[in-house]
Amino acid sequence: MFELTDQPVDSAALRARLERPDAGACVVFEGWVRNHHAGQPVTKLEYEAFDEMARLEGEAITSEAEQEHPGCTVLCVHRTGSLPVGELAVWIGVASAHRHAAFLACRQVIEEIKRRLPVWKKEHHPGGAAEWVNCTTEVTAGRLAPENYYARQVSLPEVGAAGQQKLTAASVLVVGVGGLGCPAALYLATAGVGRLTLADAGKVEVSNLHRQILFTADDVGAAKATAAAARLRAQNPLVKIEAHATDVTPANVRALVAGRTAVLDCTDNFATRFLLHDACRFAGVPLVSAAIYRFEGELNVFLPNAAGCLHCLWAWRAAGELETVANCAGAPVFGPAVGLLGVLQAAETLKLILGLATPGDGQTTRLVNLLDFSTQGIARSGDPACPVCGNPLAAPAPVAGPARSRAAGSLSPKGSPDPFSLNTLKDPVVLEAGELATLGPVQTIALLEVGETLDAATAPPGAVAVPMHDLLRVRELVAQGPTVLVCRHGLRSAALARLFRAEGLGKIYALAGALPAIRTHTTAN
Amino acid sequence: MTASRQLHIKFFAALREQAGVSALDVTTSARTPAELYAELTATRGLTLPASLLRVAINDRYAAMDTALQPGDRVVFIPPVAGG
Repeated sequence: MFELTDQPVDSAALRARLERPDAGACVVFEGWVRNHHAGQPVTKLEYEAFDEMARLEGEAITSEAEQEHPGCTVLCVHRTGSLPVGELAVWIGVASAHRHAAFLACRQVIEEIKRRLPVWKKEHHPGGAAEWVNCTTEVTAGRLAPENYYARQVSLPEVGAAGQQKLTAASVLVVGVGGLGCPAALYLATAGVGRLTLADAGKVEVSNLHRQILFTADDVGAAKATAAAARLRAQNPLVKIEAHATDVTPANVRALVAGRTAVLDCTDNFATRFLLHDACRFAGVPLVSAAIYRFEGELNVFLPNAAGCLHCLWAWRAAGELETVANCAGAPVFGPAVGLLGVLQAAETLKLILGLATPGDGQTTRLVNLLDFSTQGIARSGDPACPVCGNPLAAPAPVAGPARSRAAGSLSPKGSPDPFSLNTLKDPVVLEAGELATLGPVQTIALLEVGETLDAATAPPGAVAVPMHDLLRVRELVAQGPTVLVCRHGLRSAALARLFRAEGLGKIYALAGALPAIRTHTTAN
Repeated sequence: MTASRQLHIKFFAALREQAGVSALDVTTSARTPAELYAELTATRGLTLPASLLRVAINDRYAAMDTALQPGDRVVFIPPVAGG
């Protein structure tokens, strides 16, 4: 309940109105008129209210607090008129069964009053001078001015005013608001990245708190994206923070990634990692990815046109297979290790935005071990036969199967057997035309390189042409049912079929050999 | 074609002192609170920058680009200072 009054407030009487036998706590906040503000003496305060609206807003504020903190009874009274030093200006009382909810609700009410109750105060100084609080230009413009907020960063010659403008214009998506995403998003927000979007469908759990530094004990049970966004808005009100409390899926990934300056992969599962990687590559957006294993971490920056992508890094191993070895959910993790890697993701992202990244940043896997303080950089030169980033025509042979060596070092302890040596590709993927006929109804996707066309007259009936690198479109089609991939030479279609099969995307095959119906423009003429 | 509409405006705190009145009825071609405030800065000598203000239409907070309807009660809200 909220009241506005021009009469002195009797706090004992208000407190008595909150008494109820099931209440074990009563938290009271009193706002008093003090004799100074911003270094100046104050003789009295004059409160003015937009009466009708203040009553509506005040009632909304107290009932919101009661709804968000069930079991709390909230009473708030705000003064108007001329108040001498020492007078009570606002009284808030919250009765509740337990103290925790009462403290939270009381704090929420006073903060909301300061933010939105249409009440103003005029400060009177000795000698007759007076001013409306928050309405003088020094206070309003100076308090959180960007030139003050970012002063210590703009003074870096590598940043400067021009760099700060680039940061303000930047739009960054952080997928996964956990041990990596929390510190990464924090440093991106404080650096002034103009638009920051957080995506995570998870809720805060007690076991997250030792490393997920944006959350407090009070956030347990709250949606991670929402709680983190609220924390970041408080840290830097100058930037726009958006929360998506949803998973990233093939259905929404394009929209989330489109138009971004960079995307951060702070996830803990390979299915999302591959999806984000493919979406970024297709959309031409840099991806800054990190992963953690106990005391060790791995950092990769994937640039859209560079060789050495996530697929050749993991040699087309199945997402499901990788999960069994490297799944983070419930795994032991050293808080500072995941924190460090998140900070490194923020650093690499800021370097990309500011134009400070070196060519090597986009083609090197960086490994860090906090137990022996060793760091290592491994060049990701890429696999020439990779269907995503390589050049198959330069390769000696099509993809031969799973007996490929991984391009990057393993995070497993030295000397242990390679846990990735399983053969998961038991199903025949590349089939002759006669074998395909036994599959029943299948859709045919013709993968086209730039400059190639599909000759409708000689193409398999119903064949759909898709650009070779539109991996997301291929994913969408594969999800609809059994699929056969064809391409001009039969190399990339086989490699992509294996890739998607390995990711667990269902019945996908490739036609053995070349498809003459795909022609380059020159041969068609 | 620009339609004009009658609006009821109230001023509080710093804006009331700058406007010299606490209420004002105007007939205006302004379509939104943002346009209306721009007009008022010229006619009433208001100096608070629009970026600092919020607006209430019919006693509810609204966006500065909300379409104004004839008869609306419009209040420009200077930075509040309750508590």
